[in-house]
Amino acid sequence: MLGGRKMITTVTLNPAIDREYFVKENKPKSHQYLYTERDIKVSPGGKGLLSAINLRKLGYSDVQNIGFVGGRQGLFFEKMVQEHGITTNYIFTESEIRNNIFVISREPVTYTHYNDYSYKVEPGDVENLIKRFRRGIVDSDFIMISGSIPEGVNFSIYQRLIQICHEAGKDVYLHASGEVLNRALEERPKVVVPYFKHTNKILDKKIVNDDDYIWAGKKLQEEGAEYVMMPFHCSRLLFDKDGDVYKLTPRDFCLRNWLGAGEAYNAAFFDYVYQHGFDFLEANKYAAGAALAIAESKDIFLADRAMIKEKSDNIIIKKLEV
Amino acid sequence: MRTMNSVCEEDSIEDVIRVMNKIEMSVLPVVDDENKFLGTIYSRNLLKNIIPEQYGFLESHRLLYQVNQAAENLAEIKDRKVKEYMSTNTTAVKENDKMDNIADIMLDNKESYLYVVNDDNKLRGYISRADLLYYLLEVGEDQQ
Repeated sequence: MLGGRKMITTVTLNPAIDREYFVKENKPKSHQYLYTERDIKVSPGGKGLLSAINLRKLGYSDVQNIGFVGGRQGLFFEKMVQEHGITTNYIFTESEIRNNIFVISREPVTYTHYNDYSYKVEPGDVENLIKRFRRGIVDSDFIMISGSIPEGVNFSIYQRLIQICHEAGKDVYLHASGEVLNRALEERPKVVVPYFKHTNKILDKKIVNDDDYIWAGKKLQEEGAEYVMMPFHCSRLLFDKDGDVYKLTPRDFCLRNWLGAGEAYNAAFFDYVYQHGFDFLEANKYAAGAALAIAESKDIFLADRAMIKEKSDNIIIKKLEV
Repeated sequence: MRTMNSVCEEDSIEDVIRVMNKIEMSVLPVVDDENKFLGTIYSRNLLKNIIPEQYGFLESHRLLYQVNQAAENLAEIKDRKVKEYMSTNTTAVKENDKMDNIADIMLDNKESYLYVVNDDNKLRGYISRADLLYYLLEVGEDQQ
């Protein structure tokens, strides 16, 4: 087992129970019945949490997930997470944890997603999270903050958490979008990975063409990010701290499954840095190998390092003249 | 169970009760601001402090009086700190300790939960009697 005394912390403030229903045909207005276990999949969801599961699968023994959960379903969620070998560190709220429903049908192939955003937290819960977070990260070497925030949490929450990390001498890897990202930049997180949620905007600007992507990456750095990794169609744009921009592309790949690719990327990035030190381009190449391994398979989680190394050779990184 | 759910010495009794209620546990680990394990706080100890009659002995016709008195007593102490009611004489086990030793410790200390710490005495989780029994069940099945 890797990790020794080093701990990895992932933060998931708005987790969910993901319930996937696999049906032959999705027929609205009709009753449908599922009789086989393999047609129903219930699993813990949340960006940081899925990355934490990947890190456990890569051999890290001390991985914790900090966030809010609520109600009786929150207790069930916590047990699911613990079954993956992840140490939970949750603030329990009155409001029940949210449930996301996915209906996937075969004939025709359709994918229907009901995204529950009804969860909310109280001001007291936020202050308890801050206290718990402050002592929870004491032994952490890597801290990843990702995903959306629930109702009741101020947009400055990630800014506060990053400030706590920096006071403790720890770097932060931030995977966020919208106003919560905008404010977090003031604390100058080391690595920022923006993502598009609901709208195609970064820093309140609509991102349409390639020049917009370049603008967004550079602007994120201007606003505070040291390094930026920008999702760019099936590739990534990498903005290193010296102002250079690179395009990372997989060569000759066959996409079978998007689910889990981003989280595999995040986990593998940490894995590379832990093993080899912070080499921004090489860590991204390795991480992209992990994402490719997932994207070309039906799996959602990484199995081992062998699958990453095999695919990393298919990743090309080219410097752009911008 | 791998969990760092915990309270601190400076948290209030009300905070403790609310956490216990939400996570459905009657005991919580107490840690410092670096997550070092300091001891435990039991709901039983809190009840002993608020029920005026001898704990565990309630005559049915006095029940209403007891509940009202207990509620008043709790209102008086709910803002007090965990450090006044916690137990520091609590054994913790290490992450790498063998499960075979856990049963001895659990029986010797009459604890229903044993807290697990790493080599630096930082909290990492707990083992309950049910966890121990389940482990023994699985060992028995493997042996068969």
